[in-house]
Amino acid sequence: MSILKSLLKMRKKKELPIQIEEPPDADAGADLKTLSLEQLKEKIKDEFGSTIDLSMDDLKTEGKDALLVYLTSMVDTKQLKETFLQSLSGKHDGLKLTTEDDLKSLCKEKFGGAGYQLIETFNDIITALLFGNIIIVFKDLEKALSLSMASSEDRSITEPSTQTVIRGPKDGFVESISTNVSLLRRRIKNRNLRFEKFIIGSETNTSVYIGYMEGISNKKIVEEVRKRLRKIKVHAIFESGNIEELIADKTATPFPLALNTERPDTVAANLLDGKIVILVDGTPFVLLVPAVLVDFFSIAEDYYQNFMMGSFLRIIRYLAFMIALITPSLYVGILTFHHELLPTPLLLGIIAQREGVPFPAVIEVLIMEVTFEILREAGVRMPRAVGQTVSIVGALVIGQAAAEAGIISNIMVIIVAITAIANFVSPTYSFAAAARLLRFMLIIVSAILGLYGVLLVLVFIVAHLSSLRSFGVAYLSPVAPFIIEQQKDVFFRFPFWSMRQRPAYLKTQNPEKMPKTGSPSPPPMKGERAN
Amino acid sequence: MLKENISLSQLLTLLINFLLGSAIVVGVGGDAKKDAWIAIAIAVLIGLGVMLFYYFIISRMPGKNLFEIMEFCFKRPIAIMLSILYIIYFLYLACRVVRDFGELIASAILPSTPIEIISLTICMLMAYILYLGLEVLGRTSEIFTPYLFGFLFLLTILLFASGNVNLYELQPVLGDGFQPVFKALFPTLIVFPFGELIAFTLILPVVTNFKYCMRVSLLGVGIAGILLLFAMFLMIVTLGVDVLLRSNFPMLSSAREVSIGNFIERIDALVVFIMMLGILIKGSVFMFAALKGLEYTFRLPYRYFSLPVAMIVTVFSILISVNFGDHWQEGLELVPYYLHLPMQFGFPSLLLFVLILKLRKKKSKSSTKEMKF
Repeated sequence: MSILKSLLKMRKKKELPIQIEEPPDADAGADLKTLSLEQLKEKIKDEFGSTIDLSMDDLKTEGKDALLVYLTSMVDTKQLKETFLQSLSGKHDGLKLTTEDDLKSLCKEKFGGAGYQLIETFNDIITALLFGNIIIVFKDLEKALSLSMASSEDRSITEPSTQTVIRGPKDGFVESISTNVSLLRRRIKNRNLRFEKFIIGSETNTSVYIGYMEGISNKKIVEEVRKRLRKIKVHAIFESGNIEELIADKTATPFPLALNTERPDTVAANLLDGKIVILVDGTPFVLLVPAVLVDFFSIAEDYYQNFMMGSFLRIIRYLAFMIALITPSLYVGILTFHHELLPTPLLLGIIAQREGVPFPAVIEVLIMEVTFEILREAGVRMPRAVGQTVSIVGALVIGQAAAEAGIISNIMVIIVAITAIANFVSPTYSFAAAARLLRFMLIIVSAILGLYGVLLVLVFIVAHLSSLRSFGVAYLSPVAPFIIEQQKDVFFRFPFWSMRQRPAYLKTQNPEKMPKTGSPSPPPMKGERAN
Repeated sequence: MLKENISLSQLLTLLINFLLGSAIVVGVGGDAKKDAWIAIAIAVLIGLGVMLFYYFIISRMPGKNLFEIMEFCFKRPIAIMLSILYIIYFLYLACRVVRDFGELIASAILPSTPIEIISLTICMLMAYILYLGLEVLGRTSEIFTPYLFGFLFLLTILLFASGNVNLYELQPVLGDGFQPVFKALFPTLIVFPFGELIAFTLILPVVTNFKYCMRVSLLGVGIAGILLLFAMFLMIVTLGVDVLLRSNFPMLSSAREVSIGNFIERIDALVVFIMMLGILIKGSVFMFAALKGLEYTFRLPYRYFSLPVAMIVTVFSILISVNFGDHWQEGLELVPYYLHLPMQFGFPSLLLFVLILKLRKKKSKSSTKEMKF
């Protein structure tokens, strides 16, 4: 009975069925049958050296000598001791372990459903050890038993720290990749949701999964993702940002070419639109490809609230992005070259304020913008305990005192504040970063060429954006190339029932999300004819 | 060489921006005085015909551009000579467009900035866009065109709201008879801006969905013509014909008239935006046409030429004339007769004639071949 219990327990911890891609392996390694237990022990010791977390115990089970190997750091030792060893070292019922078939039947009997594997090469043993399996090698048998018993010590699911919502699910991805996969599977209970595993990083052997909807996602794009992931030859992957940079169509751009998110609901919705998700073990940020520019302005919450409010907030987001991008350069351009654009009373006010300021407008703007960027970076990096200090220093000392000391004008403080706040509106941090960088370019050009320069740089940015591609999909779609059907979900968010089409630029296998239903309407009143 | 395509909507926006381009900057049809709008209205109708003419040449051999059709008609050596002529012609037009814009910025927006800097910066931008390819040009124009309409709409509202509009300026209609209208119409209005559509003979062949190409290009010419007509109408009724004729940049002058509640004043920046977009597209299209010619002549991808050609345009946009008056006179008195007429209608007519003959010959040949089998 204890065996049954332990099995039930293990079944809960079982990993989700995942199609394993064979990691490319040059030499398959020595076969087990050529090694005796002692030799094997030596060989493993050679491989791992004197690391302290390697545990090798001799066992006698089912009347046979065996060797149990595992990495204490990777294996849930509590589970191992309490359940597994008890069940295996218990009384044997006359079963003899002499042939491979005996081993198989033993496994079926005792570990069926527990995710066991029989492996036969030495290299497989090493790999299995590194992924948190325990290995039992029986004397005189050609195959060893590998059981997944990875410790599941990770952060519990919490609210995402970067992309918060007012209304919407509060769970976010965590560092453990299997938890993340289960978060997705729980949202899309569909057999067509497929995950594939890749091992990337020659030193770190990091698990990277791609997920897609079979029958929806464009097969060519899925194949392209696979191809690019296989092409990666780096020593280490620690974060999805590494992957993002290695598979992007173009790296010389400030704009992110993959959407990263911490929110499972965003990922689920995008998967159903035909996008492909890339999960990396060890980080809560997952990637969605192909990404287009409008993805960075729409968030999951747009779809959870009234469509009018959703549309309004979306327009606000575009507006805020423009404000964050061009406000400082407009200030410089207008004050340096085009005074006449301002109404006279406003101009007089600004000139009066700037009377004591010793710098030209561009220097003033650059000082403040750089100061703000420094403050912001300090705010992110500093220990939490000194958080108060920085905000006080930032707001009071630098803002107010600099204005009072006559180094900068008050209107400058307003401009920096507006720019900063507008920059925080952007739902994706990596996209807001592009505005932060381009802002400086705009400021400098506008100091040289005025508003003409600002327009010049804006056209330059748009030309650059329209040359970008993310996995072959034009970055500015569906605006340019213009697709009229998709305008329902770009600047406005149309009512849910009317958004029936998947994005056409993804060229999905099934372009329709749902049948045509029409607007929901109340039941007919008395005397009214139902139609 | 990379295969690139532009969509029908991109073609439409390119056409609109191209035709508005420098025409809206300098104002056209001034010879007809108060009746300039009538002249433009007639010119639009002729412009549709011009577009059809170029479309007809291209549609004879789908997928081949002007230079490749020349090769088909005259063999490569002669085609190369002709294409060199056209390259120079297109580059000259690009220079003129850039010069128009440089003068506009230098006289209206940045008076103390040397015009060379303006030329250089806008040409660098064109070079960058063309280096990225025709697709990028199409998308860029697609993105900015809604703003063009928005700004024009806003300008109209503001002009009417500020009470500068005096519809009686239009009277008397045809006060001097049809004579001035015809004078404005031929050849100036026909060759500029409508005859310049010859540059689109390099773009039409790469449009996806060639089937609808004719409809869309006629629609583009129509919309642009109506906008041009509307802009002229707006300029006449706000400025009056005397100020209009004396003003170098009438659109800019009329925008300066706007004044609402002492708060919305001097909205020149909006107008400059409209103009800059048009100039950018028009200059880029001319440069693209010249680059295509270079591609044909040297058999190298045209992207390689974009920066050098942009530098040439920068220099010659300054060198083609000593000052704005000279530039203006050159554009009105010399270019239409000695450059526009032969390059826009002379050679293409000849080409079409030979093309039809050759095609007929080929057809009869292939049909006799079929008879044998």
